[in-house]
Amino acid sequence: MRWCLALLICALVAAVNALSSSGSRLLVVLDDTTEKSSYSTLWSDLEGRGYDLSFESPKSDQLSLFAHGERAYDHLLILPPKSKGLGPALTPKHILDFLNKDGNIVLALSGKSSTSSAISSLLLELDVHLSNDRSAVVIDHFNYDTLSAAEKHDVLLLQRPNALRTDVKAFFDGEGVLALPRVAPQTLGSDSQLLAPILKAPTTAYAYNPKEEMPSPDDIESTGSQLNVVSAIQARNSARFTVLGSVEALEDKWFSASVKAPNGKKVPTVNREFAKQLTGWTFKETGVLKVGKIEHHLATDGEVAAEDLNPKIYRIKNETVFNIEVSEYVYDKWVPFEVPGDDKLQLEFTMLSPFHRLALQPTSRTETSAVYSTQFVTPDQHGIFSFRVNYKRPFLTNIEEKHEVTVRHFAHDEYPRSWAISGGWVWIAGLWSVIGGFLAFVVVWLYSAPTADKAKKTQ
Amino acid sequence: MPAKRHAASTASAPAPSTPVTLSSGPATLKSNSSVVDIATHVWQQYISNTPQRTLLLDAFMAFLVLVGGLQFLYCVLAGNYPFNAFLSGFSAAVGQFVLTASLRMQTSESSSAASKPSSKGKNARFADEETEGGISPERAFADYIFGSLILHFFCINFIN
Repeated sequence: MRWCLALLICALVAAVNALSSSGSRLLVVLDDTTEKSSYSTLWSDLEGRGYDLSFESPKSDQLSLFAHGERAYDHLLILPPKSKGLGPALTPKHILDFLNKDGNIVLALSGKSSTSSAISSLLLELDVHLSNDRSAVVIDHFNYDTLSAAEKHDVLLLQRPNALRTDVKAFFDGEGVLALPRVAPQTLGSDSQLLAPILKAPTTAYAYNPKEEMPSPDDIESTGSQLNVVSAIQARNSARFTVLGSVEALEDKWFSASVKAPNGKKVPTVNREFAKQLTGWTFKETGVLKVGKIEHHLATDGEVAAEDLNPKIYRIKNETVFNIEVSEYVYDKWVPFEVPGDDKLQLEFTMLSPFHRLALQPTSRTETSAVYSTQFVTPDQHGIFSFRVNYKRPFLTNIEEKHEVTVRHFAHDEYPRSWAISGGWVWIAGLWSVIGGFLAFVVVWLYSAPTADKAKKTQ
Repeated sequence: MPAKRHAASTASAPAPSTPVTLSSGPATLKSNSSVVDIATHVWQQYISNTPQRTLLLDAFMAFLVLVGGLQFLYCVLAGNYPFNAFLSGFSAAVGQFVLTASLRMQTSESSSAASKPSSKGKNARFADEETEGGISPERAFADYIFGSLILHFFCINFIN
């Protein structure tokens, strides 16, 4: 609902083609304005997608992420500062507060200069770990650019990533080669479900500080695909935080550069498309799910009357139908959401614990949404149940729906009549033969009365 | 054996002819009679000495035992689903049996009390009360019908 409202307002205010689903105010934090010109293609791309860009220096006095206790911006893009930290307005606490208030953040790092401790401690809060040596960069002797880093081997050439798993949608895939100069590597905490790697370093990569001597193999902390070039955090409120290891990859120079891998051909980079995918995902232009109508009712043939929809109360062993309408936002419009191949959207019918957990099947679709439904028999247990859809996947905003209903037991007149159960016919016959026998006995008794009286009198 | 039985039957045949009023107690059964003889004798006695209404009651009770027994047997063999049907069918037979038994007690007691009023002192006192302020057979029968109707009403309701 809020997205719709934001969408409407943005459509009225900005009147541009593409829009984020969660607002268009984008704050870019960069150290000095001379830097700004080297990213001009990125800025124009973002403005072309409907963002209102504001540029602030971390040292600026006016810089504040909040105004009157509300977010002053919808999105935040932080370029690596040259100075020690990000200043008093962008402490880790402020940035986490911003995240908690549904703000989205792209944090770019750079291997050129050592990462500040403020950023390191911010990332530590999110269970993203930087190399102990803050100046380490990712080196790969097999996937480097021979044109610009023939000696140092610190410009990585990578394919765009495919889907993380077979049950997860790919948001960053495509053809072409990415050039990532001087990447500051990250490693992810293994336990958090909120973290997901977007782009991993190739297996032949390792990290070290080029200013120092070659480290011994024992000193290398992590190598290969343990190192992340780009990583994503999606908080429980679906706010997104992306860490990009190489800020230089966003520069105009690398948007238009041509690169040549060892034993490869000279090809142009796809950094510009990747930057669009990355900022688009982080600023909620892709991978945003919206639940439309939720309907549940008793299973009937044909149409369901409006007053029979979403009843408050069901009976045990009722045949019940559940429908949920799900849309996905793709850059500028809502489209029907399709569950990735190996994944399932599931419905739980729950009282304390799920009595049913059923896969929802796509049954129909409108222009902007897909309807998933399932049919089941309510369990033989009365109480307060709820229909729940709990769909939390990497790179997709969370769906958590809960609709409570009462499940009552049979009313006294809802049991099947005795003659409907053939097993009871013997007892029905028994009962009626007793009654019939009683009636016959009464009749015979009454007719036998005079003779009995006579017999009594004679005695 | 046949000789003895023959003797018994010949002995019993003239017995009712001499004391016409005393139909009960032709003491023709000997101490060494066979089981079959005893059974037939008891049966004969029962048939001849019981009033017709009591016979009717006994026949009805036998019928109820048969019906109830069959229902119970079916429950044991075929399972108790639907249980309410079994309960009401079986308890209708049992309840009717109990009601009929109490009707039998009330009607046969009053008849026996009326037929032989002086058996013992205590019983004589009760018998006097019964004959004067006690339950008449008509009243007992009305109670019986009332009780039976209530029983049938409950059973039909319960069998659904």
